[in-house]
Amino acid sequence: MADSKDAGEEALRRLIATFQPSFLAPNPALSETSRAASRHLFSALRPFCPKSPLDQLLIDGFDAEQIWQQIDLQSQPLLSSLRRQVKHFAKNPEEISKLKVVPLGKKVEKEQREDWVEESDGFDEELEDDEEGEGKGGEEGMDIEDEDEEQGRESDNEEESEGEDEEEKGEDGEAGDGGIEDKFLKIDELAKYLEKEEENFEKAEEDTRGKKGADDEENTEDDDDDDEEEEEEEEESDEVSVLLGMLSLDLAAKMQQGTWKMQGMDLFYGVFLTLEHCGWDEQFILLLRYEDFFGDKGKYSKKMKAQLHQESEGSDEEDDDMKFKKQNKGTASTHQKQLEKIHSKIEEMEKANLEPKTWTMQGEVTAAKRPKNSALEVDLDFEHNVRPAPVITEEVTASIEDMIKKRITEGNFNDVQKAPKLPSKVPREVKELDDNKSKKGLAEIYEQEYVEKEDPTSAPLSFRDEQKQQASVLFKKLGLKLDALAHFSFAPKPVIEDMSVQINVPALAMEEIAPVAVSDAAMLAPEEVFEGKGDIKEETELTKEERKRRRANKKRRFKAAAVKRMGKKVQEGALPNQMNG
Amino acid sequence: MLRRNIRMRREYLYRKSLEGKERLLYEKKRKIREALQEGKPIPTELRNEEAALRREIDLEDENTAVPRTHIDDEYAHAAEKDPKILLTTSRDPSAPLQQFVKELSYVFPNAQRMNRGGQVISEIIESCRAHDYTDVVLVHEHRGVPDGLIVCHLPYGPTAYFGLLNVVTRHEIKDKKAIGTMPEAYPHLIFDNFSTKLGERTANILKYLFPVPKPDTKRIVTFSNQSDYVSFRHHIYEKHGGPKSIELKEIGPRFELRLYQIKLGTVDQAEAQIEWVIRPYMNTSKKRKFLSD
Repeated sequence: MADSKDAGEEALRRLIATFQPSFLAPNPALSETSRAASRHLFSALRPFCPKSPLDQLLIDGFDAEQIWQQIDLQSQPLLSSLRRQVKHFAKNPEEISKLKVVPLGKKVEKEQREDWVEESDGFDEELEDDEEGEGKGGEEGMDIEDEDEEQGRESDNEEESEGEDEEEKGEDGEAGDGGIEDKFLKIDELAKYLEKEEENFEKAEEDTRGKKGADDEENTEDDDDDDEEEEEEEEESDEVSVLLGMLSLDLAAKMQQGTWKMQGMDLFYGVFLTLEHCGWDEQFILLLRYEDFFGDKGKYSKKMKAQLHQESEGSDEEDDDMKFKKQNKGTASTHQKQLEKIHSKIEEMEKANLEPKTWTMQGEVTAAKRPKNSALEVDLDFEHNVRPAPVITEEVTASIEDMIKKRITEGNFNDVQKAPKLPSKVPREVKELDDNKSKKGLAEIYEQEYVEKEDPTSAPLSFRDEQKQQASVLFKKLGLKLDALAHFSFAPKPVIEDMSVQINVPALAMEEIAPVAVSDAAMLAPEEVFEGKGDIKEETELTKEERKRRRANKKRRFKAAAVKRMGKKVQEGALPNQMNG
Repeated sequence: MLRRNIRMRREYLYRKSLEGKERLLYEKKRKIREALQEGKPIPTELRNEEAALRREIDLEDENTAVPRTHIDDEYAHAAEKDPKILLTTSRDPSAPLQQFVKELSYVFPNAQRMNRGGQVISEIIESCRAHDYTDVVLVHEHRGVPDGLIVCHLPYGPTAYFGLLNVVTRHEIKDKKAIGTMPEAYPHLIFDNFSTKLGERTANILKYLFPVPKPDTKRIVTFSNQSDYVSFRHHIYEKHGGPKSIELKEIGPRFELRLYQIKLGTVDQAEAQIEWVIRPYMNTSKKRKFLSD
C-alpha cells in the first residue's frame, strides 16, 4: 500500500513537473503517469466517502469515460454531504471553532475558506450566479474528454449538476486537506496569489467601468447589463475571492480525481495550467474561449461580466458548446460545424455592430478623424464635372494632319486679310506759278520773313485753303477745350502773341483831297516813341536858368574828360618831353 | 500722352455704351432698306422716323453701314500694320520654360523675347504701349512644364487666358538634324471648328498675332478645336508629285490650349470687365461646348 502510495505520489509529482504544453499531444507515458496519479488521489479520498462502493480506482484497461464515472460515483455523495455541512456551519458560525484541530497550514486554510463562505452567504443570488458561472467554469476546468457526456449532463440538469459540483468542491476542499497540501501546492502561497489577483481584477474592473462609461452611448444594448453589473461589481470583488477560493479547491479536486485523459489530452487543460503558471487569474482563464486564444486579450473583464450575468442557459450552452467543439478534434458533426459557423458569424456581426464604424462609412470625414495615410489605401472615386484633357494618340494626330492637307489642297486658309485702302486720296499740294504781280509790297514780304525768323510760331499756316486754315484753327481751340475737360486740373488759355510792325502814322494826312484819318490808337504810344534819359526839352523850350544849368553841366563834363585826357597825355608825353628838352 | 490715353479710353467706353442704341438704329435702317427694295410698305412703327432714317441711308457708304462694335475697334487697325509681339515669362523662369519661350519667339513672326527680371506687369504694358507693340504674350509654368499662356492685345485690347496641356517642345526631340532649322517666313493660318461667336472671337485674338502672309509660303500654323481643346500644330509642307501628294513635316512645338477667360482690358487692369470665363463647376458643363457647336 505504501509502495503504491509512494508510486502514486511520485506519479503525481512527475505529472505536475512535466512541461505543460506536452499535454497537448497524446503521449502514452504521460497517460500512464496520470492514471497512476488519479488512482492515488482516489484512494486518498476514499476514507472520506463512507458510501463509496469502490475501494480503488480501476484504471487498467478502462476507458476514460469509465474512469470518469468511477470518480463520479465517489464524488457525488461527497459533494452533497459537504454542502450540508457548509450550510450548517453558515447558520451556526460558533460551531466552526469547535471543529477538530487540523494540521497547521490546513487550519488557516480552513478558516479562510470559511470566511469566504460566510461572505458569500450574504449574497445568495450573486453566489448562485457566480456559482453557475463558476460551476460551468468548473465543469470546463474539469476538462472533459467526452463532450457528449458533458453536454448531456448539462442539458439535463445543469443547475443541479452545478450545485453538486459546488458541493463536491466544498467537500473536496475540506476533506482533501490532507491531500491538498503538497510540495506543489502551498496554501499560503495560494492565498497570497489569490489576493494579488483579486486586486488586479478590481483594477481591471474599474478600468472597464470607466471604459464602459465612455462607450455607453454606443452600447445601448448592454446598458441594462452594465447597470446591473456596476451595482454588483463592488459586491463581486468580494465574490471574486470566494470564487477564486473555490476554483483553487476545484483544481485540487481535479488533481485528485485525475479527471484528465492522457490520450488526446485536452488542449484546454494544458493551456489552463500554462496560463496559470504565467500568473493569470483563474477565473479569467476559466472563462476563456477559443476565440480568445487567438484574439484580443483585452476583453476579458467584459466577457467575464457578461458571462456572470448571463442567466440564460442558452448562452451558457452556446459558450460551452463552442468551447467544447473547438477544443475537441474531429468529433464535430456537420450540423454542429454549421452551427459553429453561424454562431461565429453572428458573433462577428454583433461585434461589428457594437464597435464604431470604420471611417469610410462615416460620411464626412476630415483628415483628423481618420488614420494617417488611410486615404491612400482606399479606392477613392470622384465625379469629375469637366471633360478630361484629350490624349494625343496617333489617330488624333493623323486626323489633324488630314484636315491640314485637305485645306492646303483647297487653298482655304484663315489668314489675316489686308484692310481695303480708303477710296479717296488726299490731293497733294501743287505749287502753281503765279504770273500776276504780287499783292504784297516788297517791304511787306521782308517784314513777314523777319517776323517768321523772330518768332517761328507765328508763321502763317502752310495750307492753301482758307477753309482748311479756319478748320485747323477751330480744331485747335476745340482740342484745347477738350483737354481742359478731360482732367480736373486747370490749364489756362494759351496766349498767342502776334507780332506785327507798327508804323507811326500821323493822325491826319493832308495830302489828299479827302483827309484820311487814322485812329490814334493804332499809333505808337509816347513811351514807345521815346523812352529813357537824355535832354528831353529842346533849346527853345528852356528857360534862362535851365540853359545856364545845361551849359554848366556840359562844361563840367568836358573838364572832367579833359583832365582824364591830360592824365593820359602826361603819361605818354613824359618821354617826348624828355626827348625835347 | 497720358491725357491722350485717358481721353481715348473714355471714348472707347462711351462707344461701347452706345453700341446698343447703334444696333437698334442699324436694325431699323435695315428694315427700311428691305422694305424699299421689295416695294413693300414701311412697317408702321418706323413711320415717324422714316424720313430721317432714309436720308441717313442715302448718305451711308460701305464703312458706315455696318454697325461697329468695340470688338471691331480693337482690331480695326490690326490689318493695316504688322503685329509686333513681346514674349515674356512669369518671374524666375526655369530653363525649360526659357527654351519654350525661345521657340515661341520663332513661331510668331516679328516677335521679341524679353527677360522678365523683376518687372511689374504694369511697367511692361506701359513700355510696350510707348514702343508701339501690338501684343504681349506671357507664358507661365509649373515645375518646368509650361502650363499657362496669356495673350494681351495692346492698345486697350482684350486679354485671353489659356491653359497649356500636353506640351511637346522642340528641345525634347533629341535628334536635332531630323528637325532642322525653323523657317521664318510668314505662315498660312488654319482655324478649324471655331463656330460659335466665342469661337470666332478667340480665333480673331489668335489670328491677329500673325501678319499678312505671302500666298505661296510653305509654312502652316494650325489651331484645331476639338471639344473646347485647341490643338496647336506647326508644319511645313511640300508638294512632290504635283496635284494630290502633299507631305507634311511637323516642326515647332505642339500643345493644347484651353481657353478659360477673356477680359476686355489689358493684363494690368485687374478690374476690367470679363467677357467670358469658364465655369467648370456647373452640372451641365460636361455637356456644353463653348468654342464649337
